[in-house]
Amino acid sequence: MPVSLDSVFQALYESSIAQTIRQNDSAFPWIESLHVLAITLVFGTISIVDLRLMGYPSHRRGARQLIIDLLPFTWGAFGLAVVTGSLLFISNAVAYSHNAQFQYKMLAMVAAGINMAIFHLTAYRRIGDWDDVRSPPLSAKLAGFSSLVFWVLVICFGRWIGFTISAFF
Amino acid sequence: MSHQGVGDWLYDTQISTTLRDVDWVIPSVQCVHILAIAVLIGSALVTDLRLAGVLATDENPATVVRRYLPWMWRALVVLLLTGTVLIVAEPARTLANTVFWSKMALVLIAFVLTLLFRKPILNPQFRVEHSAWAAAAKPLAWVSLFIWVAIIFCGRWIAYT
Repeated sequence: MPVSLDSVFQALYESSIAQTIRQNDSAFPWIESLHVLAITLVFGTISIVDLRLMGYPSHRRGARQLIIDLLPFTWGAFGLAVVTGSLLFISNAVAYSHNAQFQYKMLAMVAAGINMAIFHLTAYRRIGDWDDVRSPPLSAKLAGFSSLVFWVLVICFGRWIGFTISAFF
Repeated sequence: MSHQGVGDWLYDTQISTTLRDVDWVIPSVQCVHILAIAVLIGSALVTDLRLAGVLATDENPATVVRRYLPWMWRALVVLLLTGTVLIVAEPARTLANTVFWSKMALVLIAFVLTLLFRKPILNPQFRVEHSAWAAAAKPLAWVSLFIWVAIIFCGRWIAYT
């Protein structure tokens, strides 16, 4: 018998951890605050790299070392965003999964991931050639610009979820 | 006039009513507000961690501050403008809220700290390690980063208090 996605989300909604979040008035705001902190750190650090890829100078000349400097922070913050975001999601799983803005946000994140994978498989492989060049090749510029656009969309759709989600709990 | 009085008067003004009636205004302005705080915290993170001796220690502190301080000021201007719109649109949500005023106090402290301990570093003659506050530079960097984080937390909690 095929398991519908809705029944999975319903099971998540009924899980004890989701119940705990719903029953504790301050749990949701605390997790949400951490989620906002995490996403601002993701965007704040990744946009520095994106701008460098687009040719805007950073605190150091070399693009490779800049990426090495900042990537651990971006990934750490992204990990925190995923953990906190998952907790927020399961607390009202069915409603979030049906929310259009939530779905667009997930698509924008997938797009950001694909964009990053393409960058790492193409322009980043040849970074030795353009590491110290103020203006990177077009493929790197495009990757930086696309990343900025996708993460802006992730943040905007994310904020919009709060205004469109149907009746809470 | 009390906060309540100012808030009630603001709520009834034409501009406040319009901002609330056009239903995409508040969410859009909040998006810009979050993007601006993201730019600010990213800049604060790199600068403060450099001054704390954690990140990019092979680069001169002045180089790092020169790259990020202008972005912090620009982001702060956007935050104040979008924040003002949000207050005008929903005065009761903010002006009568203790968390909001705590946030404003923290913003003021963060602003003064940034002005006093980042701006001098832009001067080419200035050396952090020889300055009067050399010993305090590292702890101050952590304090300032922590204050920005607290500001973000307060911002989200305004909606719940």
